[in-house]
Amino acid sequence: MNAHRSSLRSFALSLPAIIAIAPFLGACFYIFRFSVSGESGVISGYSLQAYFDLAEPFFLRSVWVTVKLAALSTLVVLILSVPIALVIASVRTALVRRLLTVTILLPMILNLLIQSYGWIILLGPSGVLNTTLRETGLISRPILLLFNETGVLLGLIQTAIPLAVFPILSATRVISREYLEAASSLGAGNWRVFYDVILPLLKPGLVSAASIVFAYNASAFAVPLLLGGRRVQMLGVAIRDMISPLFNWSGAAAAGMVLIVITTGVLLLAAALINRSARTPKPSEVSEPLQSGGGA
Amino acid sequence: MFSSLFSMRGGSYSVVIFFLTTLGLLISALPVAVVTLMSFSAAETAAFPPAEFSFRWYEALWSQLSADESSSAHSLGDALFTSLLVAAIVMLVSTFVCVPLAYALVRGGGRVRAGMELLFTLPLVFPLVILGIAFLLIAESLALDLGIWRLVIPHVALVLPFVLRNCMSAMNGIDIEIEEAAISLGASWMRAFLDVVVPLMKPGILAGLIFALIISFNEFTITFFMYTIDVSTLPIWMYSRTVSSLDPAVLSLSVGIILVDVIMILIIDKIIAGRASLF
Repeated sequence: MNAHRSSLRSFALSLPAIIAIAPFLGACFYIFRFSVSGESGVISGYSLQAYFDLAEPFFLRSVWVTVKLAALSTLVVLILSVPIALVIASVRTALVRRLLTVTILLPMILNLLIQSYGWIILLGPSGVLNTTLRETGLISRPILLLFNETGVLLGLIQTAIPLAVFPILSATRVISREYLEAASSLGAGNWRVFYDVILPLLKPGLVSAASIVFAYNASAFAVPLLLGGRRVQMLGVAIRDMISPLFNWSGAAAAGMVLIVITTGVLLLAAALINRSARTPKPSEVSEPLQSGGGA
Repeated sequence: MFSSLFSMRGGSYSVVIFFLTTLGLLISALPVAVVTLMSFSAAETAAFPPAEFSFRWYEALWSQLSADESSSAHSLGDALFTSLLVAAIVMLVSTFVCVPLAYALVRGGGRVRAGMELLFTLPLVFPLVILGIAFLLIAESLALDLGIWRLVIPHVALVLPFVLRNCMSAMNGIDIEIEEAAISLGASWMRAFLDVVVPLMKPGILAGLIFALIISFNEFTITFFMYTIDVSTLPIWMYSRTVSSLDPAVLSLSVGIILVDVIMILIIDKIIAGRASLF
């Protein structure tokens, strides 16, 4: 079989998939083209007016709320996900491991409506928490945990945990038992082993988990829509409002481009960080940091 | 039961790890558990915990499902039917296009492979809101009458990364000698591909199909922008029913969806156990 024929066949085999992804690429291009359109309702001419119009307090506050909530949720998700990943990695029983995997994975796969129902029952104005607190006389009027930033933060954390647990879990594969035994036989306590051995080895996994969680939560839409009421204007919701009551299509497209720049910027930064650390010795060759008790 | 990573020797370290893990699992599981419990409530309202248990909301759901389809333009039966139809088409289309692509990429290799893999990962990281708006803008400004394809086309883009990844990891495990043997025994290339390679890819294909089903069936964001009165899915129906207050009948529907999703994840976990990662 000659090379020409084989590359022709490869192309023919790839063609259906390329056709299937074409609308997606078209959509990406379309949103960019609309954002530089001269008019706000149709694509005609070129202008950066839509971008200049974004420089107003409402939109800037929305960018701030988005970045703040995404960063906060990323921090909390990492703090929760590292222990979860370590525990899953340590579980030997297949059944327990499977149970943990499903519990972690479910919040991301299940549609968000169902989970927001759960949160409303638990934390809503007449939910479990408020009723209990009122009956015990600790509070006289309900504490608002939902339909504000707290509620959105909770939802963001919940839906993003699986996105962080699985990259960290695959990063734990490079931690071999010998490292930990060596460290503790040299007298390092549990915390010392965690900071000086486990964390540095998990770093690539942590960086990629953090970037994925940040990008995912910065572009969240359903969570702020369902748990934020209309008060928490994260970018996703703000962009939707530009479309639905306001019909400012080029403005929405420009705001969308801002969101894409934020998320891809973070993802690229993380990829660069991981690449740089990949050029330093591979985990299998790392032995000195253990002996010297050093690390990153 | 626990090995080196998480030492059980006690001390503050183990306590902290245990506490954080429990907290994380609670945050993950609590809403689902509460919804499940509430769906069996006998009370009129969604007050928790339910004083008495009954199946009344399941009966209410059943009567809504079997009731007159024509009375409202936005009925539960229609939404369920559309959801399943969209998911079925998405499963078929995405698998049909990904199997040959996975073959071409794994056998072809080289720089094209890296580029194509990146291209087909894009839908995974692209903000869903923007995709929803972009597809809406295209459909509106071109005045396209797409019918059910309004939802199928974006859903396919969304599931491609998952389906392709599963097909490729299955393809990676198939030696080229096997199809060469078939060809040297006189089979045409097409015959070798369809009768030898594709059957060997079956676990990957199956995992991809289930991923496509789960993602399409639970998709909310893009559908929220693209739905019309005629073409609307189950999550949109649930949203429209609960936008003002919580209807316990929706909770019993939720339990059904939770069950289906759990079973699907368990099947995937079993199929790809150890051989590929979920993401």
